[in-house]
Amino acid sequence: MNDKILNFSIRYGFLILLFGLIVYFSIAAPGFFGPLSAAFVLQSVAITGILALGVTCTLVVGGFDLSIGAVATSALMLSAYSMVILEHPAIVAVTLCLGMGALVGFINGLLIVKFRVPDLLATLGMMFLLIGLQRIPTQGNSIATGMTLTDGTVAEGTFSAAFLWLGRHRFDVVIDRLLPMPVVIFVAIAVLIWLFLGFTRHGRLMYAIGSNARAASLVGTPVNRYKVVAYMISGVTASIGGILLAARLGRGDIASGNNLLLDSVAAALIGFAVLGAARPNAFGTAMGALFVGILLQGMTMMNAPYYTQDFVKGAVLVGALVFTFYLSSRRTGTRH
Amino acid sequence: MLRRHFMALASVASLALGAGAATAQDAPAPLDNPGDVTIALVRYLSTGDFFQAYLSGVESQAAALGVNLRVLDSRQDAALQADMVDQAIALGVDGIIIQHGLTESMREAAQRAVDAGIKVVAFDVNVENDAIPQIEQSDYLLGKLALEQAIADNGDNFAAGYVYVPGIAPLDRRHVAWEEVKKANPGITEAARIGTLDNPIANANANQARAALQANPNISVFFAPYNEFAKGVKIAADELGIGGDLSIYSADISTADIALMREAGSGWKATVATNPAVVGEVSVRALALMLAGEKPGASVIVPPTLITQTFLNDNDIRNMEDLGSKMPQFQHADVAMADWMPLPAR
Amino acid sequence: MAGDALKVNGLQKSFGKNHVLRGIDLTLSPGSVTVLMGANGAGKSTLVKVICGHHRGDGGTMTLAGTAFEPEDAADAIRKGVVTVHQSIDDGVIPDLDVANNLMLDRLVERGHGLFVRERHLRAEAAKVAAAMGIDVNLRARVSDLAVADRQMIAIARAMARAPQVLILDEPTSSLSATEADRLFALIDRLRAQGVAILYISHRMSDIRRIADCIVVMRDGAVSGVFETKPLDYEAAVTAMLGHRMTEVDVAVQNGSTPVLELHDLQLFDGAAPISLTAHDGDVVALVGLLGSGKSRLAEILFGIAPSHGGEIRINGQHYAPRSVEDAVAQGVFMSPKDRATNAVIPAFDIADNMTLPFLRGLSIGSFLKPRQQRNTAQGMVDQLGIVCQSVGDGINTLSGGNQQKVMIARWLLEPARVLLLDEPFQGVDIGARRDIGRHIRATAQGRATLVFLAEIDEALEIADRIVVMNEGAIVGEHANRNVDLAALVSDISGARPTAAGPAP
Repeated sequence: MNDKILNFSIRYGFLILLFGLIVYFSIAAPGFFGPLSAAFVLQSVAITGILALGVTCTLVVGGFDLSIGAVATSALMLSAYSMVILEHPAIVAVTLCLGMGALVGFINGLLIVKFRVPDLLATLGMMFLLIGLQRIPTQGNSIATGMTLTDGTVAEGTFSAAFLWLGRHRFDVVIDRLLPMPVVIFVAIAVLIWLFLGFTRHGRLMYAIGSNARAASLVGTPVNRYKVVAYMISGVTASIGGILLAARLGRGDIASGNNLLLDSVAAALIGFAVLGAARPNAFGTAMGALFVGILLQGMTMMNAPYYTQDFVKGAVLVGALVFTFYLSSRRTGTRH
Repeated sequence: MLRRHFMALASVASLALGAGAATAQDAPAPLDNPGDVTIALVRYLSTGDFFQAYLSGVESQAAALGVNLRVLDSRQDAALQADMVDQAIALGVDGIIIQHGLTESMREAAQRAVDAGIKVVAFDVNVENDAIPQIEQSDYLLGKLALEQAIADNGDNFAAGYVYVPGIAPLDRRHVAWEEVKKANPGITEAARIGTLDNPIANANANQARAALQANPNISVFFAPYNEFAKGVKIAADELGIGGDLSIYSADISTADIALMREAGSGWKATVATNPAVVGEVSVRALALMLAGEKPGASVIVPPTLITQTFLNDNDIRNMEDLGSKMPQFQHADVAMADWMPLPAR
Repeated sequence: MAGDALKVNGLQKSFGKNHVLRGIDLTLSPGSVTVLMGANGAGKSTLVKVICGHHRGDGGTMTLAGTAFEPEDAADAIRKGVVTVHQSIDDGVIPDLDVANNLMLDRLVERGHGLFVRERHLRAEAAKVAAAMGIDVNLRARVSDLAVADRQMIAIARAMARAPQVLILDEPTSSLSATEADRLFALIDRLRAQGVAILYISHRMSDIRRIADCIVVMRDGAVSGVFETKPLDYEAAVTAMLGHRMTEVDVAVQNGSTPVLELHDLQLFDGAAPISLTAHDGDVVALVGLLGSGKSRLAEILFGIAPSHGGEIRINGQHYAPRSVEDAVAQGVFMSPKDRATNAVIPAFDIADNMTLPFLRGLSIGSFLKPRQQRNTAQGMVDQLGIVCQSVGDGINTLSGGNQQKVMIARWLLEPARVLLLDEPFQGVDIGARRDIGRHIRATAQGRATLVFLAEIDEALEIADRIVVMNEGAIVGEHANRNVDLAALVSDISGARPTAAGPAP
């Protein structure tokens, strides 16, 4: 009986908590419940969610990617530089950013599998490198149309409408101009990664690598190749996040994106607890991002100051981790 | 003369805002029942003395009106700030103050708020919307008043040092005043120009100022139109032992700055500042006018105040509170007023 | 009896519905080795965990030297004088510290120990402990660089630093070769002489014959036999464990005619003697040898993990030189590695995922897996090998060691192999499961050459058509599995016969 309750709470506890939270805020915070509010919650988690899905892939192979925040801000600056200063069209800017993300992921992977640098250190180094690199072309200035360049000329390029559309377009769902484009992209990426990790043999082999890399290699899995691919996925999704951020801001703003890394890592880790998976998974990550989004939206509506929100975010993360590692170990601990 | 200049400006501003009605009356709807009115302050910048003081002004004016205030703080996250405007819309607030931010990210969010029938004012950010009045402190006047004091103290014939970093909007506006003064007074020459925003700003500028002062011993006046710049120049002058011979004119003020200006032998002669708390109050009042159906105008300018070393010493002013109580025009700007408008208690 | 070290009376333990211990009685006497036997899942590990304070019993009593013994936790049990060396060696040592620090670790955590480590003093003490235990290794060597046997000795030495009344050894020889095990037995003899009560858990009959003073057999959570009068009746003990009489396995020796795997003057490492060997279609060849004899190296070369140093390998007459494991598998050479926990088991996966891991490509359309086919394939193997589980969706770690090993072997039987390599397939496996695996390997042997790498002669005799003995990277003897001259075999293994003798004709 006790085991049943334990198993049930491990499996559904998190989703029940999420549902309870929605009910609570709907009652306590007028204006919380409704399509408009739901669209805002999704919008506020879309970009961190996309980054979190990439990090999930590296967590699956037993790695970690600390460089995602810096990749996203680099993509933000690169797209601005490409369009405003080099006057490229949107398609070129987007391609450049995706290529940059893939390249950074490839280098991360190479550092880890080839040069044997531990994943945390390799991606930490990459993070610093990118934070510096993205500011070199403009001497640390934000990029906006009409800015004066170092040679005295004025940047004439603009963010093209097609590019801004990526971040700003809202689809008519239920009410006019409700569902923002980044949310659609977030959901699409979530479904893709969910299918990839959960239902393809590549995903299965990546989980095997994360659980026991040696055993995976001894059944003939090309472990290094899969690890590099995982970091490349992480780099590309982070650059997509950066593109969407740039399209929402409409300028290459150096101050934006500071919280991306921590928020998305938190979402991926909270995701461990969803459905009692006790391992990184795409559905959990998306739910984790949504959970944080709903919590913050609700607290904001109830007028809680930002520092209490950080506190609550941390408490949720710690709670989810305890939930994952302690309760799940009790569940499987009956036999060794 | 400066005082007169300032008074004239203030009265022009208040006339322009249509705040001259004489008879007292109850607040118009919906402010006759202020408990049902909610306004939101959506912030981009929040850490630092200036922004804290601004918030305290918003809070005290909102309290005086009796309306509910919600503070949404994006902590320099431009995308989040836009989301927060959406959140405020979802909350069904009556009015929104947008405090700082990026034009590109806020323009559409502000338009959505206007479309939702919400009254919006913006402080120090241009959201390019005719329906949204701009609350501004006049950076041009900040520079202009400081330079007029410099001429009053030193005559119109001196070699000057100047601190400037191009590309920063408020500094660019203050720079306009400097260019005008140089053109109007051929006797004033710019012997050296320095400036950096490297952190810590005061320290980095001190290093540059020391080099400039050593190379140009003829400099007797330094125009440093930002308090961190002035701090840096003062450090350099003190280290070179010429603190008494160099006059520094700046903009902005804080309690720490007051202490520096009042040090024995300090060369920091005057600064020009707008009280950020007053700007906060004006922001709320402008929004209240809009809620009541009145028009505060496309641009609401909060006039700056000249604060001299002599004034600080004569009145033994030690901090911002002292300054407010001894200098009424620093405590209150007669802008965005109506005769029904309650003011914060002093 | 007042002289008993540890007395367990009517011990009960359940996990949920699972009634694991059903009233166990056990008495350990000072200066005597009690061997605990039992098939996997009989409840041995649970009993040990209750005694060493890892679990609390649900009923029954335990007394230690006459006083009630109810350990709060593992540390409490150790304080009271009951020390356990667990099966997994690396639980007993800190791999990244050197030998001296490992030996002295328990002193360092004592409350009375000062803040600073006195390096020289520590090394002198450690040298004393090592000498007393007969451990002969460089005290500055990192434990992770040591051989398994040395690590095991250090784990036991650490346990002995506590001067326990009761020492529990859980399958201590499962990773040791015969000579290494002999060193361990010498140590156990010494401890027995010092009056320690020892509980020794093992599957290996040779161990049991060597050291047992008394045998306690468990089956299905209860004691099914106690043997304490000498001479001990080993056959009866095995019968009590399995529930039926142990019969000698009769191997119907095959002699295949089509050569499948041919080694021509293969050098395992630089300077090693070249080896030549032919395995035919349907052959099951056992390669036996001590740790370090080169048999693991040979397996690694054949599976594309390590390079050879000269010579040639041919499979079905074609040159074979795998660049990687992936390449080896693609060419039909499969290997089930030793140490399944480290090298084979994916702990996060269920049975079906573990079993089908190498051949997912065949179980998917494009990249997408076909879960039903995956489960059906696994279920087929579960039925064939008699894997005891509720469904193929069970987590791999819910299985006993024997059943886990069956899953690991089944993994490589899913698709036809040209050469199947099994490295220590019976490690930590009870006799029942061992028989099942052996029978199935022999039954499916047609169509491939099977090489089984083993340390135990008993196991080799049970499964092989031929037994090839390796020593120092060379083949030193070959025996058809029919009326084997055991004495000659053992002397081959220990290297007593000169290498020049070569393979028997």
